[in-house]
Amino acid sequence: MKRFIPLVVFTLAAMPLLAGDIHGKVVAHGVRNSADAVVYVAAIAGKTFPAPAAHAKVDQKNMQFVPHVLAILEGTTVDFHNSDALLHNVFSPDACADRFNLGTWPQGQVKSFTFKKECFASLLCKVHPEMEGFVAVLPTPWFAVTPADGSYEIRDVPNGAYTLKVWHPTLKAAQKSVTVSGPTEANFEIAK
Amino acid sequence: MRTLGRKVAWLSILTGSMLVFLNVPSASAIPAFARIHKTSCQTCHTGFPKLNPFGEAFRLLGYRMPGEMQPETKPQSLGAEAYKKMWPKAIYPSDIPAYAPLAMNIKMASVYDSSVGDAGHEVTHNDFQFPQEVNLFAGGTMGDHISFFSELTHAENSDGSSDTEIEHAQLHFNSLFGHGHWINFKIGKIAPDLEDGFQEMWLSTDNGIDTMFTFNPIGLHGGTGLSEEMAGISLPSMVKGVEMYGIGAHRFFYTVGVVNGLTPANVSSTKDFYARADYKFGGMGLDGDTTGVTLPPENWRERSLRIGVLGYHGSGKGADFPMEDENGATFNVQDRNFDRAGIYASWYYDDLNVFGVAMSGRDRLDTFTADGVLANSDSHRFTTWFLQSDYVILPPLQASLRYESLTPPRSAEVRSLRTLNASLSYFIYANVKAMVEYRRDLRESKNYSLNTILRFAF
Repeated sequence: MKRFIPLVVFTLAAMPLLAGDIHGKVVAHGVRNSADAVVYVAAIAGKTFPAPAAHAKVDQKNMQFVPHVLAILEGTTVDFHNSDALLHNVFSPDACADRFNLGTWPQGQVKSFTFKKECFASLLCKVHPEMEGFVAVLPTPWFAVTPADGSYEIRDVPNGAYTLKVWHPTLKAAQKSVTVSGPTEANFEIAK
Repeated sequence: MRTLGRKVAWLSILTGSMLVFLNVPSASAIPAFARIHKTSCQTCHTGFPKLNPFGEAFRLLGYRMPGEMQPETKPQSLGAEAYKKMWPKAIYPSDIPAYAPLAMNIKMASVYDSSVGDAGHEVTHNDFQFPQEVNLFAGGTMGDHISFFSELTHAENSDGSSDTEIEHAQLHFNSLFGHGHWINFKIGKIAPDLEDGFQEMWLSTDNGIDTMFTFNPIGLHGGTGLSEEMAGISLPSMVKGVEMYGIGAHRFFYTVGVVNGLTPANVSSTKDFYARADYKFGGMGLDGDTTGVTLPPENWRERSLRIGVLGYHGSGKGADFPMEDENGATFNVQDRNFDRAGIYASWYYDDLNVFGVAMSGRDRLDTFTADGVLANSDSHRFTTWFLQSDYVILPPLQASLRYESLTPPRSAEVRSLRTLNASLSYFIYANVKAMVEYRRDLRESKNYSLNTILRFAF
């Protein structure tokens, strides 16, 4: 038995080497910049992932949802803060987010909602109709949200073949097949 | 007298030239669309107000950049996009420009004109019209499908009087059905797209095309010549009504309109109708499409031909125009119904743009005695055409040459008109333009004008 111990240690040590990073750039046409695109590994048949215990956070600050786009794994609970000296409300008109409405609350209070299934949920505030945010509820833990330059990196994706998708609040979604084997590059161009 | 007139003319040119080369203060601001999109006037204008092909696409798309580019200046939201999912349980979301989208245009003109007076002598005027005209514009978009444009004009006349007029006040509804540009509407006081490309607001010259817009066909014998103002009788330059227009397959353009006509609404409820259709071969698509087209980096250049037909049908029934015959008897003339039919063509060959319209007009004139008895009813025909060449010598230096012709009805006691109009524009900046313009009546050598114009917008 002891002779297998080095083999187990070696295998465990080598495991990160069997995973790769997916990186690249999303070029968004027809909008001011390439921010807020969500790049993610699509659902893998027969595979589910446990929801994280830690809550994600969306703040309402300066009458904006911060971040504008939040990406989470299915089952994640999101805490909605209010940092403004104003009343705010959070609701979603989307059925996939159970059309939740958390009511209206003042500065400093927090309300939470658990997003149970894959969804691209719009966040709205009834008090301030111009406010808008998004929660991308995803089936795998491998995702990234692009900054203004459109770059992204998804780390520690196990080697294998996947469908990589990109979603954007106002542009058409896109997807492509990727085979991860070490560092893998995948670029997208999206438009209306 | 003639020597003095020449001296005054040269003084006028000299003064205008000084204005051109004066160090005009830097334009610290630019007009509304330029500010919204954070771009230069030259993005849309060969030299304002003449639009280049991109500017034409921007206009036809309801003041939106081709390719649905978001404005560089983030608009003020009146409701988040996702509120569309809530409609009709919530008001449909839209946005407005983040600040008042205003712009001003100011025109100074040194006007020297000569005409033949009643006694047959040459009468000259030399007038510093500083300012001649001030225009306050507002324009922008509201949400995905609505845009607006308005213009308030204050003009000071050479006799000391002044006029203030709303020249445009219009709301556009764009791409209402689907993402194409087939169906759009305009409502309000508009320069009809019937005249797209040759109405005053799109011309590189300062003088409008009088033979097309100010010929008055109403008279005891079929016309009284050019009227003082844009009378809206030959072709109306401004109308109040509703227009539908659209672009198909990037290159086909159509417009149809229903508008108030000559007759005041309290006299008759009849409306006028117009339509235009044309097609553009080569160059940038009318919606800004550049698929399969290689365009030069100089955005005023392309090689294209746009050609089409236009028509207008109106009724002036009930609108009396008082006339007096040679014996002093008074009559009222009504333009019972009238038709205009024409062809339009615009040819771009790099720095050269040649365009023109040939139009035929028919007026059914009813003449009533002072007692209201119908004394005569006749149809009269006139024809008119113009050809204009605009040439970009250098981007700041642009020239225009136009020939206009109008043949009135044979019975009309007015002469045919042949006019030459030449102008040279120098753009000190993209928003500051100096121009010298000469117009001459080719049938009467004493009828001419020489104007020096300084125009700036901010």
